[in-house]
Amino acid sequence: MTLAVAPAPVRRGVASVSAKVHALSELLLVSRGPYARAFESLILGLIIFSVASIGVESIPGLPEWATQALRVAEIIVVAVFSFEYLLRIIVAPSKLAFIFSYSGLIDLLAIAPFYLTGFDARWLRALRLLRLLRVLKLQTHMLETVVEERTRELREKNAALEKAQAQLKAELEVARALQLAILPSAFPARPGCEAAARMIPATTMGGDFYDYIELPDGQIGLVIADVSGHGVPAAFFMAVARTNLRELAVRHTDPGECLAQTNDALCAQNPLELFVTVFYCILDPKTGVLRYANGGHNQPYVRRAAGPIDSLDGAGGLVLGAMTGVKYPTHTAQLLRGDRLVLYTDGVTEAFNPTEELYGAERLVDEVHVHGGGTPTALVERICQSVTNFAGLEPQSDDITLTVLTWGAP
Amino acid sequence: MNLRIEALAEVSYVIPEGRLDFDAAPGFQEAVERVLGGAGKAPAAVIIDGAALEYVSSAGLRAFLLIARAAQRAGTSFALCALQPAVRDVFELSGFSSIIAVHADRATALAQAHQGRA
Repeated sequence: MTLAVAPAPVRRGVASVSAKVHALSELLLVSRGPYARAFESLILGLIIFSVASIGVESIPGLPEWATQALRVAEIIVVAVFSFEYLLRIIVAPSKLAFIFSYSGLIDLLAIAPFYLTGFDARWLRALRLLRLLRVLKLQTHMLETVVEERTRELREKNAALEKAQAQLKAELEVARALQLAILPSAFPARPGCEAAARMIPATTMGGDFYDYIELPDGQIGLVIADVSGHGVPAAFFMAVARTNLRELAVRHTDPGECLAQTNDALCAQNPLELFVTVFYCILDPKTGVLRYANGGHNQPYVRRAAGPIDSLDGAGGLVLGAMTGVKYPTHTAQLLRGDRLVLYTDGVTEAFNPTEELYGAERLVDEVHVHGGGTPTALVERICQSVTNFAGLEPQSDDITLTVLTWGAP
Repeated sequence: MNLRIEALAEVSYVIPEGRLDFDAAPGFQEAVERVLGGAGKAPAAVIIDGAALEYVSSAGLRAFLLIARAAQRAGTSFALCALQPAVRDVFELSGFSSIIAVHADRATALAQAHQGRA
């Protein structure tokens, strides 16, 4: 009993000293903290100093005090290296493995000659150069590890980014398909009426649209519209505008009244403060009478069967969605047999070429005049081709939309 | 596009140069709104001198609409002047000239701004 009690504090003492030494080794050698960096710099400095001192000692006729100072310095260097060597053994998980490892042997070679032969084996200190190489090699290795790690992180982030982008792109493609799907694919069947249309968005999603609306009394509403800006916000506003206009067109058979109602409806649901230009007309397929109203849109053209071109230039009103309470006057035009109605957005007339020229209304009128005698499909394709040729390499900056209707064709 | 600002005692002239399109509109709007809210004290009038403004797209029109509203909130008189014919057509066609004052030149715009305040 008595024997068991007495040694206990001693063991505890040994244990606590050992723990402190371990903690010190960790602090100076393993951690990457400021102490470890300072210690590493100290060792590096001492290596360089001691290698340099070999050269100094070999100077002939060195004063005695200098030789003495260098000897003291040598003792300090060996003491620090020995201290470091012991710490390294302590901190190594497997002591023997460290002692016989490449770096362990180099550390030993740096101090062993002193212990074996004292100050005589000066030239053996040149072996400390190996330590220098070792440190440099270690740093290169660490640098490589860091670079490798960063490269891997970058690769992972890139992969994640690419994945997110692919997902976004796929979703935009779906949205684009949905948007194109709500544009009418065919004009309501009426004897003598034939129509064609094309919408080419500038970005994945567009803000332009056209629509054919079957009205209760057999008449047909034709819409062409352009939302300010483009991209997803414009596409959303386009969908809202189209839905409102479609619903209100059935209830308000006067085009101006329909636009006024649609404008008020849009102003009430317009958080992004977008607006839309709309040309809306109602065709009576039996008589060729066209009633129309214009909310800030480009004036459409009528190409007469005989060749001349008129524009539907009755006074319009403000774009829709900007301000409530706007009035839109309704005008009337008479289509004759074989006349063509050409509706378009400013993406056509305001297409730029590489020298910053606008396509302009004149070029459009020329195309309509020269090629207006064919089918609506042919004219639509002809105009799109002409705009594309004109723009050349200049990227398309706005949505291009076009619809052509012939009335009373034989 | 480029933008120059001439800030005088009673009026600030904003002179945009080039194309006011989808890409240029947000920067233009921000710059003019800075003039309106400049140093916590809005000028009595902000006049856009359009002599060097070559083109305005629908996104550009929207910028003008939002600026006009900001000016109204700030109690600043806002007008355009010296528009090139093509740009003036755009303002007339879109109906914007019915909600934003468009004048022939700086002198007329300034006189109207003073009259509006008197």
